[in-house]
Amino acid sequence: MTTENLLTVLKFCFLALLYLFLARVVRVVVLEMRAAKDVDLAADEVVPPPKPKPKSRDRRRLPSLHIVEPVSLAGEAFTLDREVTVGRGGGCQIVLPDDTFVSQVHARLFQRDGRTYVEDLGSRNGTYVNGKRIEGATRLRRGDRIQFGQTVTEVTV
Amino acid sequence: MKSAVARRRRGSELLLGLLAVVIVVSGYILVQLSKQLDLPPDLWVLLAVMVGMFAVAHLGVRWFAPRGDATLLPLVALLCGIGFIMISRLNHHLARTQAVWTGVGVACFVATLAVVRRPRALERYRYTFALLGFALLVLPLAPGIGATINGARLWVHLGPVNFEPNEIAKVLLVVFFASYLADKRELLSAGSRRIGRMMVPDPKHLLPLVLAWGFSLIIMAGQGDLGSSMLFFAVFVGMLYVATERSAYLIGAAGLFAVASVFAYNAVGHVQVRVSTWINPWPVAQGKGYQLIQSLFAFGSGGFGGTGLGLGSPQKIPNAATDFVFAAVGEELGLLGTVAVVIAFLIVVGAGFRIAVSSDRPFTKLFATGLTGLIGIQAFVIIGGVTRLIPLTGITLPFVSYGGSSLVANFVLVALLLRISDEAAADAEAYARTSAIAVASHS
Repeated sequence: MTTENLLTVLKFCFLALLYLFLARVVRVVVLEMRAAKDVDLAADEVVPPPKPKPKSRDRRRLPSLHIVEPVSLAGEAFTLDREVTVGRGGGCQIVLPDDTFVSQVHARLFQRDGRTYVEDLGSRNGTYVNGKRIEGATRLRRGDRIQFGQTVTEVTV
Repeated sequence: MKSAVARRRRGSELLLGLLAVVIVVSGYILVQLSKQLDLPPDLWVLLAVMVGMFAVAHLGVRWFAPRGDATLLPLVALLCGIGFIMISRLNHHLARTQAVWTGVGVACFVATLAVVRRPRALERYRYTFALLGFALLVLPLAPGIGATINGARLWVHLGPVNFEPNEIAKVLLVVFFASYLADKRELLSAGSRRIGRMMVPDPKHLLPLVLAWGFSLIIMAGQGDLGSSMLFFAVFVGMLYVATERSAYLIGAAGLFAVASVFAYNAVGHVQVRVSTWINPWPVAQGKGYQLIQSLFAFGSGGFGGTGLGLGSPQKIPNAATDFVFAAVGEELGLLGTVAVVIAFLIVVGAGFRIAVSSDRPFTKLFATGLTGLIGIQAFVIIGGVTRLIPLTGITLPFVSYGGSSLVANFVLVALLLRISDEAAADAEAYARTSAIAVASHS
């Protein structure tokens, strides 16, 4: 009789251990997800609220757009100190004359409440932020990749 | 080890893995205690082998995929261990074979980590993998080496080793489908032709997919392996849906499934038997329904907390070590034990989907989804089968059931998932670094 009771107690100890293990695993998963979230938040906080002061010292603090692709234009940068339009047409502030996939007036980038946004202006081939085609004004964060036609640009601060 | 992510993940993996080893060893002791109040004579052997295997796998991950997910390997260790306890309790001879196969599985696990340095490189060999997959599928039909066991011609004898090549074929075909879908997903989701009010994709893009799919389903159904054909069907419909985001494919697949089920019911003899024993096994309790009824009795006598390890009689269920291992767990560890197994599978599937989400390349995303689907759906089909939720189809419960080929294939599968996870985490780190440099150089 006593052995039987002992075995029952041990069985429940075993099951408890099993669930303890699963709880530890779930805890690791939760910590992972929290860590991933913290990284996202940290990335958001790094973007300083850009105050449009057109003084030369502060110029570099303003968000700017760097061309990543095509390689021939890589490194070219445009400061986003006011509203700019992007397109193939000469009237745009950022002109991409060699990319035939870019519309005449393709998109605009503007600031509102210290944040930078991009909006597609009805271009033929669309504007993509981090690989997703945007609809309406889309907020930009540091490091975002914006693609107009075949030209890829990156937002830096 | 350089990165904080790698250090954190490997630390958790080691702790959880050791806890899993402790659980398995204490379970093994409990089985022995149920017979006599003495420690099992081969306890130290088991302990050494388990710690050794886990250490090899863990060091393999540390070396080749340091940023890989932390939870997969410990969960696999636990599931393998629970399976081993049940198998050794049922049949000591099978347990020894299973231990050898687990060793082979761990070796293949490390080898996969070492060989597949970049998961995305697999994309380039898609047709090679597809052909290899088909070759493995038809291999059991080859005279001389093929063999029929339990009415299904799935086995290949090569010298002293028997294996089921379709376990490996599944993984290879998932590579093919993932890379094909990653390539053509825009074409398949946008559609270029109009039928009525619906836009449908050009059939020429769908054709290779449907051919590959139909071919593999027909082979498996022809071999009498309905569980695998169901698994295959579900995994690829899932991948198609994830790739295209079009629910029309799901509706179409449900229709196809209905047609195929009716056809299989009328054309294949043992499907009718499976369905009628599923609906009511009692009239054939001593015949075709015996297995299922023994399984139900096992769950019933297990109750909430189970009879205790070594104290039930799961040996009464035919195939208790393979297809019905879940019923054996249900008898000896009860509802609590079976729920723990189900939770373990859920966390594995959750980890797989988190890996798919974290990866930002279409191919690896789909590949991870497909691999996760293979484990999750396979577990669902067999657990549902033995609990009489769905008609029974004989496939293994991943990692838990006795079966060498399945064990090896699943170890390879988990190695691939860890590789994808490592790559995604490395990409994220590199991205964070370049952004930091950009910030530094501009301020």
